[in-house]
Amino acid sequence: MRRARILAGAGLVLALGVCGTGAWTYTQARTDDGLAYGRERDEALADGRDGIAVLTTLDAATRERAERSIRDWRAVSTGPLRKELGGTEAAAGTSARGTVTEAAVTALDTRSGTAKLIATVRVEVTPGGAKKPSTDRKRLEAVLARTGEGEWKVRALSAVPVAEEKGEER
Amino acid sequence: MTPTWLLRRSAAPEPGTVDEPDPGTDATDAPAEPEAAEPEEAPAARPPNGRLRNAVLAVTAVVLVLGGCGFFYGAHQLRSQAPARNQALTDAEATSRVAGDVGNALARIFSYTPDGTAAAERSASTVLDGRAARQYETLFARVRDDLTEQRVTLSTRAVRTGVIELDGDRARLLVFLDQTSHRDPGKDKGDAAATTAAAQLTVTARLDDDRWRIVDIKAR
Repeated sequence: MRRARILAGAGLVLALGVCGTGAWTYTQARTDDGLAYGRERDEALADGRDGIAVLTTLDAATRERAERSIRDWRAVSTGPLRKELGGTEAAAGTSARGTVTEAAVTALDTRSGTAKLIATVRVEVTPGGAKKPSTDRKRLEAVLARTGEGEWKVRALSAVPVAEEKGEER
Repeated sequence: MTPTWLLRRSAAPEPGTVDEPDPGTDATDAPAEPEAAEPEEAPAARPPNGRLRNAVLAVTAVVLVLGGCGFFYGAHQLRSQAPARNQALTDAEATSRVAGDVGNALARIFSYTPDGTAAAERSASTVLDGRAARQYETLFARVRDDLTEQRVTLSTRAVRTGVIELDGDRARLLVFLDQTSHRDPGKDKGDAAATTAAAQLTVTARLDDDRWRIVDIKAR
C-alpha cells in the first residue's frame, strides 16, 4: 500500500515535471524575440501586399463603385496618405486593377511599429468605355505603420523613380 | 422546513410538480443534503473512494503528460514554422550581406562597355550558377554582336534590394534595377543619347563556399 502510494506520488511528480518543462519550452518559444520579429515581418508583408493591391485598384465603372473603391483605400491607409485620399472625388472613368506580383519587407521596426516594403505590381488599366485593358508594370515602395489593433496600414506609397525622374505619388 | 423538503423530494418525479421549482428549495437543499448523505454513504464508500482517488490520480497524471506533450508540440510548431525558418531581417547581418552581394553581382554582370563585354562575362562566370548562368549565356550570345556593332555602353545599378526569404544557404530576393544605356555616336556624329530603363528581378541565390551565387533570375 505504502509502495503503491510512493509510486503514485512519483508518477504524479514526473507528470507534473513533463507538463512544466513543456510549458516552459512553449513560453520560451512564444516569447522568443527572433520568432516574434519574424511573425511581425510576415504580418507586415501580408497586410502590406493586400494594402498595395487595394490602393492600386479603382473600379470606376460607375460613380457608386468608384466611391466604394475609395472607401476601401481609406480602410487600408493611415496618416497622411489617408488624409490625401479622403479628398479624392469619385467619378466614373478609367478603372484599374492592381495585383502584387512580388513583395519584400526591406525594413522593420517592431518597437515603433513601422515597416518599409518594396513591391512589383501589375496594373490592368481599362479606360472608361473601352473593353481591352492595357497592362502596366510598376515598382512601388510603401511605408507601413502598425495601428492600435495590430494591423499594418499603408502610410505612404510611391513609385520607385528611375534615375533622375520624379516618382509619382498616389 | 425539512419535512416540506422531503415531501417535495418524493413528489418531484411526479408529473406536474417538476415544472414548478420553488425558490425556497434551493436554499434548503444545501444544508440538508450532507446530513442525509453522510450516515448512509460513508461506510460503504471507502473502498470506492480509494479507487476513485487512484483514478483521479491516474487521470491527472495522463492529463499532465498530454498537456506537456501538447506544449512541446506547440513549441516545436512555433520554431519550425515558415516564419521562424525565414531569417530575412531577423538575421540582420546575413540579410544585408546577401542583399549587398546579389546587388553588386547584378550590377557587375549587366554593366559593360562596347569593348569590355568580356569583363562582364568573366564576372558572370564567378557569380552565376545553374539556370541563371545558362540564361545569361543565351542572352549574351544573342546580343554580343549587336553590342559591339552599335557601341552600346550599359551601366546597371541596384536601387532597391529586398530579401523575401532567407533560409540558411538559400535566399530569394526582389531587386529593382536602373539600367542606363549610352549609344556611342561614333566619331563624326552628334551627342550620345542616354536612356534609363527600369528592371525588376526576382533572384534566387545559393551560398556556395561562403559566397552568394545567383542560380535563377526572373523578370517581374
